Amino acid sequence: MDTVTIKNLTKKFKEITAIDDLSLKIEKGKVTGLIGSDGSGKTTLIRLIIGLLLPDHGEISVLGLNPETQKDDLNKRIGYMPQKFGLYEDLTVIENLRLYADLKNVPYDFERLLEFTDLKKFQSRLTGALSGGMKQKLGLACVLLGSPEFLLLDEPSVGVDPISRRDLMQMVRDLISPETTVLWSTAYLDEAHSFDTAIVMNQGKVIYHGKPYDLAKTTEEFENKVIDLMGGYRKTSSQIAENYVPKNSDIEYTVVADNLEKVYGDFYAVKNNSFEIKKGEIFGLLGPNGAGKSTSFKMMCGLLKPTGGTARIMGIDITEDPEKARSNLGYMAQKFSLYESLTVKQNLDFFAEIYGIHNIDLKERVDEIIDIFGFSQIKNQKSRDLPLGFKQKLSLACALIHNPPILFLDEPTSGVDAITRREFWNHITSLAQKGVTVLVTTHFMDEAEYCNRISLFYKGETVAIGTPSALKERIHAKNMEEAFMKLILESKK
Amino acid sequence: MKILRALVKKEILQIIRDPSSIIIAFVLPLISILIYMYGINLDFVTVNIGVKNDDNSPDITQLVNSFDHSKYINSEVSDNMSDLTQKLIRSKIKGIVIIPNDFSTNLEQRQSADLMVIADGAEVNTATHLQNYVLQISNQWLATSRYAQQVSPQIVNPQIRTWYNQDSNGYYFILPGSIAITMTLIGILLTALVVAREWERGTMESILSSNVTRMHIVLGKYIPYFILGMFSMIFNLVLCIGVFQVPFHGSYLVLILVSALFLFTSMGIGLLISTILKNQFFASQVSIGIGFLPALLLSGLVFPISSMPEILQYITRILPPRYFITFIESEFMAGTVPSIAIKSSIFLLILGIILFVAVYKNTDMRLTHD
Repeated sequence: MDTVTIKNLTKKFKEITAIDDLSLKIEKGKVTGLIGSDGSGKTTLIRLIIGLLLPDHGEISVLGLNPETQKDDLNKRIGYMPQKFGLYEDLTVIENLRLYADLKNVPYDFERLLEFTDLKKFQSRLTGALSGGMKQKLGLACVLLGSPEFLLLDEPSVGVDPISRRDLMQMVRDLISPETTVLWSTAYLDEAHSFDTAIVMNQGKVIYHGKPYDLAKTTEEFENKVIDLMGGYRKTSSQIAENYVPKNSDIEYTVVADNLEKVYGDFYAVKNNSFEIKKGEIFGLLGPNGAGKSTSFKMMCGLLKPTGGTARIMGIDITEDPEKARSNLGYMAQKFSLYESLTVKQNLDFFAEIYGIHNIDLKERVDEIIDIFGFSQIKNQKSRDLPLGFKQKLSLACALIHNPPILFLDEPTSGVDAITRREFWNHITSLAQKGVTVLVTTHFMDEAEYCNRISLFYKGETVAIGTPSALKERIHAKNMEEAFMKLILESKK
Repeated sequence: MKILRALVKKEILQIIRDPSSIIIAFVLPLISILIYMYGINLDFVTVNIGVKNDDNSPDITQLVNSFDHSKYINSEVSDNMSDLTQKLIRSKIKGIVIIPNDFSTNLEQRQSADLMVIADGAEVNTATHLQNYVLQISNQWLATSRYAQQVSPQIVNPQIRTWYNQDSNGYYFILPGSIAITMTLIGILLTALVVAREWERGTMESILSSNVTRMHIVLGKYIPYFILGMFSMIFNLVLCIGVFQVPFHGSYLVLILVSALFLFTSMGIGLLISTILKNQFFASQVSIGIGFLPALLLSGLVFPISSMPEILQYITRILPPRYFITFIESEFMAGTVPSIAIKSSIFLLILGIILFVAVYKNTDMRLTHD
């Protein structure tokens, strides 16, 4: 018996074909992973399955119901967690749970859920004040109310650290019955590899459907196979790095954090954070959500005033002359922070101007960047309409427009597919080879391997610092993910 | 019923947590009443004028003095015409009265005597007031002067008595009217964001895949904001009647009932905007444009409807504030006039129901975009 049967499904948005003549069966009682590049149609497919969108052609049957005409009956039997979790941020944890319990007409029986999610202590906290990992657990708890027969999770683990991701997976496995079907869309291929079934989507079509283990035995191999399926990634030399003009300087340690500290009331967001980064080094800042990585980042680039200690960028003290220190920085923020209503070219013009590039050079520089980054086709498109991968590339272009000797990248690859991530890291490593110093945060542990050195951050403090291999050796871990978990757990003791 | 109760409870919690809706409901009326009370003045005002007297008869000196004795006029006597002109240009004085040198001679010879009044037309209201004041004062003077028998007595002598607002206090009439404007704004602003917010924050997607029906969603928005809106309405009335002592001659019950109907319509406008636009920024822009400006300009509070171009007069007929202003002004100043109260109620009820149906029809139970 299949939970979902889809025949020749097509869905178009204006000119764009989101789902293209797709046929699919999802087996009952299995956890199925939905993988694919940005804009491959994963979210659209999930929304079609539960009747939030209507198909243009084709048939869908879910739990024996037609989502087009029997949506109300279907709603009673499913649990759907949208990408933004669907929680009310201005309600407390318990208020959200009670609301969803009432909407699903089930009694207020949250003991087991609260225990599993570890949210008992935070019951009366506003949801907006929870960390990403906790929100995600609460979102899942709300969805699990009423024991749905079919659970649909749309990228629940974007921007969430490895520990929270592992907890979430455990929660789902523990809380569902063997008959429950789960459809789980994800960008993390290691996650997908652990599922019963994997569906790989590309351009609105299913390009692989089967056991992930049949495709590849290990996670790494699985990633390579999936990338091959999606058209493959050919490593080429990075045009961006080749056209980078390094600035001459004899400073050895270009980025220095000197006992950085940030206190809110009596809460230490960051405590005694010290590190030195050499010219041309890629330095990774890893840690669970809420560990203080972004706070450190903002202090390092002078956006937030430290309550103690300081940072030096190219030898310039950030607390004394933040403007001058910042002029040496290219900063890529966690969220897409370009102007969505401006075109690609207008965004570049704007950032060139605010970085102080003058009239004659400006046009030349912007044209050059458009050329190097391959934006000529899309330069007059509004950045809102770009696929996520292109948005990330545009953000990087804006950060690099003034040829800075230092790059700060705050979770540059969150929500980006595997191919785009590889491209992105190709540019980063090539830039570092040309002498650019890179400070980067990430939740992808495989990306941590690209770093020369890593600082592991937990509860505002540095737990460990060293090369990826040294850290793995120290704790006897076979990969970075294991090292991360072990080191964090060790520091908890 | 349980679902509806849960949605209403959720919305009330959000109202309590979010200071902006409290500010809209209670601070906005306070500010707006203060502005209408002190900022907009339609009353008789004191005007500064200059007087140039070219007639040196002692009787005329009396006339000149009586300009100064009026409580509506501050006069300044000068022989220097260019000086007065300069003052008029600089807006130090609003007008000049010139008494020509043959003024008393003409009166003596029972001929018509001219008096020149120059008024600053840049401020039309003040200029009109000024002309009336000068006319009144000179007539009074004439009646008591020794020239009185020289002029034929006036046959018609109107005795003016103002009803309903005996003191011609502008704010007695503008404050109740202002409640209509404020409540339009509050009804629309409170609700214009609340549906759009759910779409933007992604919570609508969760709600739509639970057991709620369309009616749950619509009532889940109407009920909590109606309660908040009524509190705001009562607060307005307390300010108006209790604090600013505007006399109230009507029935509180009728006032509250018609106000509730009015709130129902303006909430309908806000919810319709929000439901259709699904975007908080657009919704707030549009609600100011649709809600506030027509209410202020076309409702008859500031500009009389009868002096508007015909096409605008037709437009005012579909504006809820127009009916509510007529009702609330008469309720305050004349007491309950059944024909006005019933006509306003029927209109507001019909419009409110039309809007409710429109909101219901436009409430999407599925996503329409990607």
